Amino acid sequence: MQSKTPYIRIDNVSRDYGAVRALSDLTISIEKHEFIAILGPSGSGKSTLLRLIAGLDQPSTGKIFIEGRDVTDLPPHKRGIGMVFQEFLLFPHRTVRENLAFPLRMTRETPAHIAERLDWVAGVLSLTALLDRYPNQLSGGQQQRVALGRGLIANPTLLLLDEPLANLDRELRQEMEVEIRRYQKQLGIPFVYVTHNQEEALSMSDRIAVINNGRLEALGERQAIYDSPASPFVARFVGRSTRFDGVVEPDGRTVQLSNYAYAMPGISGIPARTQVDVFVKNERFHLAPFVEGEAGIPSKVADVVLRGPFLEYILETDRGERIIAVQSKRNDAAVVGDRVLLTWAAAHAHVFAKGV
Amino acid sequence: MADSQLQKRLFLDIPTAFLLLFFVLPLVALVVLSFWQTENYKIVREWSTINYRTLATEKAYVTFFVRSLVMAVAVSTTLVVLSWPIAYFIVRYGGRYKLIFSLLLVIPFLSGEVLRLIALQGMLGPAGLINGALVKLGAAPLRFIMYSNVASFIALLYLYLPMVVTTVYLSLLNFDFRLASAASACGAGRLQVFTEVIWPLNLSGTLVGFMLCFVPTLSASLVPRFLGGPNGQLYGMSIAQQFGESGTWALGAAMGVVLFLFSALALVTLSFGVNLRRTGFTGLGRQ
Repeated sequence: MQSKTPYIRIDNVSRDYGAVRALSDLTISIEKHEFIAILGPSGSGKSTLLRLIAGLDQPSTGKIFIEGRDVTDLPPHKRGIGMVFQEFLLFPHRTVRENLAFPLRMTRETPAHIAERLDWVAGVLSLTALLDRYPNQLSGGQQQRVALGRGLIANPTLLLLDEPLANLDRELRQEMEVEIRRYQKQLGIPFVYVTHNQEEALSMSDRIAVINNGRLEALGERQAIYDSPASPFVARFVGRSTRFDGVVEPDGRTVQLSNYAYAMPGISGIPARTQVDVFVKNERFHLAPFVEGEAGIPSKVADVVLRGPFLEYILETDRGERIIAVQSKRNDAAVVGDRVLLTWAAAHAHVFAKGV
Repeated sequence: MADSQLQKRLFLDIPTAFLLLFFVLPLVALVVLSFWQTENYKIVREWSTINYRTLATEKAYVTFFVRSLVMAVAVSTTLVVLSWPIAYFIVRYGGRYKLIFSLLLVIPFLSGEVLRLIALQGMLGPAGLINGALVKLGAAPLRFIMYSNVASFIALLYLYLPMVVTTVYLSLLNFDFRLASAASACGAGRLQVFTEVIWPLNLSGTLVGFMLCFVPTLSASLVPRFLGGPNGQLYGMSIAQQFGESGTWALGAAMGVVLFLFSALALVTLSFGVNLRRTGFTGLGRQ
């Protein structure tokens, strides 16, 4: 059953609202069994993309294919998708049971089939005890599970999730992250998960599409997106990192930081004397006791924040800039007031020419 | 402390006194009067149920009442049907002009009921705009819109349209249309989105509009007087006559009590007949 056509193909899709271009020339292919996160800041166009896939909105140009079939002009109810919304959007005048059964009733399934699917979904999502309640009698987490169940009950070809965890508290969110990923692996249909929360994207998805200003900034395996960002935006947006100004030395291989006497080798592809941005992930910093004459950024430990197994060093450089360095806990850890030298491996710095 | 006691008193007692004085007392007076009689424009304080027996047996009153009832149901139902598309259009496509559109609907209100009815007389009467034009063109005038129940029907639609549109408009304005998106993402077609989600969730608002039209229409007296013609006598108009020309106040009071009880019954039936929970009414809180 090897087939060349991807399960879902978003082909050169743009969406204009009047003069505003919400999405421009987006092309993404999604495979079956894949969990893909659409990551971007608010207003980046990620929810527009989801609405286009759902059929709640039409692209200005471009086409959308599901299982090789052009669905661009199909209304939502003919696309066979499931969708989960940020605000849950359960029907307040219907019980949990009726909310769950809604998609099946719309397609006029037999009562026996509906009962069977209800049993399955209530079992999977532990909703059996709540079936006769109304949505406003449920907690946020429960509503969220009902919304998920409503999206899954009709065996959709794919499930679209629009920031479904944004309204839940942190603990519940982390629990649901694991759950949702488990359902996706169990069901074997693609989940397209829109979020502005990079932690969610990183912890749940197989691949991440980063969107900014309606453009696809990067698309790739989550590890690759994290470790080797393709653009300054991705470097800044995914993970927590610190930016330095720099300039490429005449030799074309070394970057000299503008504000510090620290140079890194191993650059290629950027012409000499170009102004550059250097991004370093906060956990990639290396701290060593200060030694006069050694290479690095001399700084002082202003504060240490305990984050479970990690320590967050709030450093103040000699120029008065604040830098956060995340380190795992060690016995010889620096304490507040220590002078340290901040360095990093050249491979862990991401360098981009300015103004690109 | 004493201050807030006083405030509480003022806040509660003044409205209570007002309601007692101008709402409960007149109602009691009406009920009492309905069990007395009137002779030669004088009240006779003799208790009897003769007024109610007259109402039940006199064919004219039964006819007036049934005619009013049919009229009220027809007008209110038609108005709900007319108002929905108007209100829906304003809410969905009114954009930033929403408020202006809804205010435009209220403009006829500003001229007062009598003026509006006289204007309608001009439209629908024998020499009115419609029939005048028909006669000029050599066609026969439309008799059914001249001083008839149809004329009253049209007038009542005209009078109460803004009320019903405004209530449905307010209901739709507070409706979360993302629920409609959710329904269509759940596989509902356009008609299903309406019947399964939009209509039930706006039912309570629609019923309020219905009742706001139904109750006054049931007791309408000006409309039939101006436009009803010889066979257009309605119940409310008859009440007005009891208190006016014929001076049979006690009978009029009994008619009023019947009207009040019936309207109350209609209200209670509707509000108990509708499961508020099923209309997404959230005033019930968590239960």
